[in-house]
Amino acid sequence: MIKKRDQYREIINALPNPGLGLGLRSKHFNYILEHNPAVDWFEVISENFMDSGGRPRHILRQVAERYPLVMHGVSLSIGSTDPLNKEYLGKLKSLAAEVKPLWISDHLCWTGVNSLNTHDLLPVLLNEESLKHICSRIRIAQDFMERPLVFENPSTYLTFKQSTIPEWEFLKYMAEETGCGLLLDVNNVFVSAFNNDFDPVNYINQLPHDRIVQMHIAGHQHCGDYIIDTHDRNVVREVWKLFSQAWQLTGGVATLLEWDSNIPEFDVYHAELLKAKQYMNRMTGYDLDADVQNYLDAAVSNPVDFLVNDFKW
Amino acid sequence: MIESNDISLPQLQNWMQGILVKGRPSADERMTIESVVNQSQRLSALRHLNIYRSSYIARLRACMQNQFVALAYALGAGLFESFADQYLDSYPSESYTLNTLGEKFPAFLEKTRPDASLEQKESWPDFIIELAGFEYRLSEIFDQEAAGDQMVLTPNTPDNLLKLTPVLHLFHHQFPICQYYLDFIQNKEPDLPFPGKTYCAVTRRDYKLGLFVIRGAQYHFLKSMQEGKSVKKSMKYLAKNFEFKIEDLEKIWPEWKSTFIASGFLSV
Repeated sequence: MIKKRDQYREIINALPNPGLGLGLRSKHFNYILEHNPAVDWFEVISENFMDSGGRPRHILRQVAERYPLVMHGVSLSIGSTDPLNKEYLGKLKSLAAEVKPLWISDHLCWTGVNSLNTHDLLPVLLNEESLKHICSRIRIAQDFMERPLVFENPSTYLTFKQSTIPEWEFLKYMAEETGCGLLLDVNNVFVSAFNNDFDPVNYINQLPHDRIVQMHIAGHQHCGDYIIDTHDRNVVREVWKLFSQAWQLTGGVATLLEWDSNIPEFDVYHAELLKAKQYMNRMTGYDLDADVQNYLDAAVSNPVDFLVNDFKW
Repeated sequence: MIESNDISLPQLQNWMQGILVKGRPSADERMTIESVVNQSQRLSALRHLNIYRSSYIARLRACMQNQFVALAYALGAGLFESFADQYLDSYPSESYTLNTLGEKFPAFLEKTRPDASLEQKESWPDFIIELAGFEYRLSEIFDQEAAGDQMVLTPNTPDNLLKLTPVLHLFHHQFPICQYYLDFIQNKEPDLPFPGKTYCAVTRRDYKLGLFVIRGAQYHFLKSMQEGKSVKKSMKYLAKNFEFKIEDLEKIWPEWKSTFIASGFLSV
């Protein structure tokens, strides 16, 4: 008998590469519907649409008719010690049945315990106990959803003394044990590497590249002695270089530019995405000193607008 | 002090969440930050943890600000932030969506009003509470499940076919809440208003919200229709309970009908 894990793995292996995508943001709803821009696909934040009976869901239905979609969530909380939220999973499944996404992703993180939600992607403990716990929850979630899920490496701002497994290895075991796919956020690797003193190039080299179905690129804010993953500006050159490295290693996968705060006009957002083409076939050396950063005085942007309703009068 | 190897996964998550949400660990206080979190080349363990703490507060404050834009304007940034912080401390989010973060905020403001223990109440807290409740209801109506959101009606549509659209919501307030809100979103920088009984209707057409200040008689008429009464019976109800003459109501009805249709209050 073929194990479910193997079935999920086969499904992940057969996923298409839809090309270069953008996040679907309310600021661009009208533009997209009026101009049908030549974007390969859109990624939607699942939580923005799963409870909506109003305009967001109405728009989503129309976008789904015109473009391939991927659903990206922030609330599965796969690492939490609370029970999985079946109400949430049920709504996720209903939304997926309606918009038929290419795949559904979330993060390797936890968002809260004791029924609370911090609405942050909190770092998981990286040890064997935690790995077992998370793998068992991925299996439950995948069986409930009747499809494999895809998990993203989060930006992290701390590491735990109890952690014994490097994150890249944790992700590798997770994918091996459950058949899930991986979403490699190269900006998150850069941010976490700077904050937690590891080598981002080595991290990307060590990942199981055949399990990676998607990449994220994004801008971040350098605050001097740490970096915050703000998704509010252009992608820096170091991240493009990591993207280039990952592109070579994966053979090229679906790539999405995240921009969640100070969101520019659609054409500016799209133009930043298309820069990815310049980095797809480059073998570049890695030079951490390349970009001059302006930091220290700027207030840290806190992307939240993209997670809450935006009224249109 | 607890050794890091003795900490279970639930213990660690409770500890971290306690620090983020309450500013202190909710679990075993013998767990020091240094025994749980690594320091790095540039940051101490405490600074690493504080990035999450600051981000938690900033994110939820921003969300409250987004959900209660007019209220934040009315209170001013400092006072709004202080109320929001107290609220978030008392009612941390229990939902997977941020859209419901402010659900209990109006009730919280009522419960914690500064003149709660005084016999002589001030009026401004009433305004603040009403405005908070109204703003939250707007966010619910924006996302309300409703079939279609479209209707084709004309003044010639027979009265006996008319009913209220399911996304019509009627409000009565002790302050001019709707007008204040409309003035705010039109950047008119309204002053705090004086008390005064007001009525309004909120509807949604083509998935966009419409806010309408209406008269008391219109409110009671529409309320009666909302309870399932026909146009004719609602006129009778108004005549009987509010000392209107039925002839006057029949005379004004074509004008009301035309306005209600244009405003998207009615469907068939």
